[in-house]
Amino acid sequence: MRRLLLGSIAPVLFLGVWEMASRTGLLTLESLSRPSDIFIAWYHALLDGSLLIATYQTFEAALLGLAFAAVIGILCGTVLGLLPLVERITGPTIEALRPIPAIAFMPLALMMFGFGVTLEASIVAYACVWPILIVTVAAVRAIEPRLLDVADVLEMPFWKQMWTIILPAAFARINVGLRVAAAISLVVAVTVEIVLNPRGLGYRLTLASQELKIGLMYAQLVWLCVVGYLLNAVLRNVGTGSITLWGSAR
Amino acid sequence: MKQFALARLAPLAFALTLIGLWQLLADLNLISPIFFPSPARAFAVLEYRLADGSLWGSLAGTSLRMVFGWLLASIAGVILGAAIGSSRLTRDLLDPTLEFIRPLPASAVIPVAILFLGLSNAMSLTVIAFGAIWPVLLASVHGFSTVQHELSDVSNVLGFGRRQFLQKIALPSALPDIIAGLRVSLAIALILTVVTEMQSSLPGLGWDIFFAQRSYRSADLYAGLILLAALGFTANHLILLLERRALRWRTLRT
Amino acid sequence: MQAIRKQGVAAQPDASGVPALSIRDLSVSFGAPSAGGLTVLDHINIDVRDGEFLCIVGSSGSGKTTLLRVLAGLFRPTQGEVLFNGQPIAGPSRDRAIIFQDYSKALLPWRTVRGNVALSLEARGIPAGQQDAVIDELLAKMGLRAAKDKFPGQLSGGMQQRVQIARCLAQEPKILLMDEPFGALDAMTRQALQDEILQLAAEKQTTVVFITHDLEEAIYLGDRVAVIGGAPARIVEMIDVDLPRPRNQLTTRENSHFLAHRHRLFELLTRHQSAQHGGIGIASRNGGNG
Repeated sequence: MRRLLLGSIAPVLFLGVWEMASRTGLLTLESLSRPSDIFIAWYHALLDGSLLIATYQTFEAALLGLAFAAVIGILCGTVLGLLPLVERITGPTIEALRPIPAIAFMPLALMMFGFGVTLEASIVAYACVWPILIVTVAAVRAIEPRLLDVADVLEMPFWKQMWTIILPAAFARINVGLRVAAAISLVVAVTVEIVLNPRGLGYRLTLASQELKIGLMYAQLVWLCVVGYLLNAVLRNVGTGSITLWGSAR
Repeated sequence: MKQFALARLAPLAFALTLIGLWQLLADLNLISPIFFPSPARAFAVLEYRLADGSLWGSLAGTSLRMVFGWLLASIAGVILGAAIGSSRLTRDLLDPTLEFIRPLPASAVIPVAILFLGLSNAMSLTVIAFGAIWPVLLASVHGFSTVQHELSDVSNVLGFGRRQFLQKIALPSALPDIIAGLRVSLAIALILTVVTEMQSSLPGLGWDIFFAQRSYRSADLYAGLILLAALGFTANHLILLLERRALRWRTLRT
Repeated sequence: MQAIRKQGVAAQPDASGVPALSIRDLSVSFGAPSAGGLTVLDHINIDVRDGEFLCIVGSSGSGKTTLLRVLAGLFRPTQGEVLFNGQPIAGPSRDRAIIFQDYSKALLPWRTVRGNVALSLEARGIPAGQQDAVIDELLAKMGLRAAKDKFPGQLSGGMQQRVQIARCLAQEPKILLMDEPFGALDAMTRQALQDEILQLAAEKQTTVVFITHDLEEAIYLGDRVAVIGGAPARIVEMIDVDLPRPRNQLTTRENSHFLAHRHRLFELLTRHQSAQHGGIGIASRNGGNG
């Protein structure tokens, strides 16, 4: 309660001063709009569906890229985790590729895929694959070796081992990497849209600013905050145990 | 000796094999030279443009933007983190607002920043600082709020004031967290440097890559990518080096 | 093995008559009594004489640590007051050094042994140029000369506790407040440090308030032993330890008076421990133990 009260002081004060300043003419900067106009712009964008469509487009690309990254990351991570020698050999190459900002591949991806959801998803996938890969390697390496011995004794094929032993045993940790990647996926998707891809929330934001629809621009910015906040809240709760696909998510 | 050879040479051989494979595919025309110029061409362009000096300017521009934006974020992040981490009142006042803004993709601030600051370095630095502040801020809050209470007691008994407590006890105690945050922040700073350069045609590697694509000079694009990778790799390792020096006391054990 | 201390038998009452510490009617409770608050210390009265070595024993959870924190000025009592040389305690002061049981948490792990001791000198405003001589002397006295440039993490528990003691001595306190300082150490190290602390206290005639749950340690070190027990904790008994000084780990512990004290304290403590229930949770609310 105290947190709620104290916590709302800053935003309320900020918005209040902003609104008052622009109403009394103290603040005439046209790039600032005013909170009430922003709210009205948001309301209209919500009613005509453009905001929701853009949100869908952004999430579509983010999830597609994330799913791709999860498959690649978990698969490669498992192999590298099970075979330390391979990990040692490929390690430096991975370390050299990892620090390249995913965004830097945008021009390349544009040449390959043209504008659209594939371009965006490919960049998201590149950005998301690293945290998943690294966490998976660590998670697989932490699996009790006797569990894997059991699998060998039972002469399980690799796919069966993967599904019945490796993933369940490592999932709780991999889950952490997936949550980090999910947060990254939204950020990267929006960034690609802002820089070049003409779709989704990021593009709408740029468009609004270029057309000098300042109220709409801020409305979309706040909307992004809300969406991101909700995504993080969902991810936090998913992480604390509601995913029990294998009943072993500690 | 055999161990050494394996540890050192095998990874190198792997990387060279990959590059060789790429070269072979390019030579056999199995992949389009428009997307995948042969590595030989990419490195030739890299060498040529480093020799004629045109890439150095871009490298310097990107490095400086990254470092200054990161420094801004670091200083603001540590100060804000200290304020939030060491006082419950500041935390209750600011935490909800910050939690709300934090998930906002930093690149989304670019349109707003452009409105206020134009296509300038100031815009770029603002965006970089905004995006790169979060890891160091969160790490600082954690570091400052988990100072051993025995150490706070020691500080009180010795009669240290708030400034001395922060300087002699809290800051060094939070330093391992802060440095870990600084490292993540630097990676984000590089990403946002590239993004803002692309977005506002500021002279740097990000813009080089963007421009190379527009003029369909893929070898230039790869030259830029290679240099970016080198920059990110070097920056990361410099921080690791700093970490090892500053936190020497953590690794020394009898 | 020999520890030199005042050559008399027990500490004589101070000539000036003003106690070093005077604990008056002190009570501590957590939370409002109406809302089911817990009373930890109940009307404690003790006068600590100047130059005295007072040990306080009690079972874990009896509020010993809370009492010591009140004496240090780190914790405000709910009721009553503590006078230090006749003046009420308003807050912590360099005159009253406190030595924590958990040395690993009380030292600055990023500073060397030298740096940890220097912290107290910095607090006293001694310029950097004049610190070395003081530090070297203290480190030599505590047997830390060879460890001067090591970090706490590189030292054994006993050595780390020596560093903490050296840092406290460097603040030139009038009183040493020690909270089960040797509780986490092995028997040999513990005995060695017991003798060292006796010697240090004797040299400077420092007043010491020493908390422990170890009866034998209390009798071996103290001029008097205060037993606290019950929930909420009260002073159950105050014993004058009539053992000759310097004390000796072998002969003192075999002395018939020592054994008689031990017998009596053991009975007192067990009786009050069985009367006390659920006391352990209290200390943890205060973040300490004892």
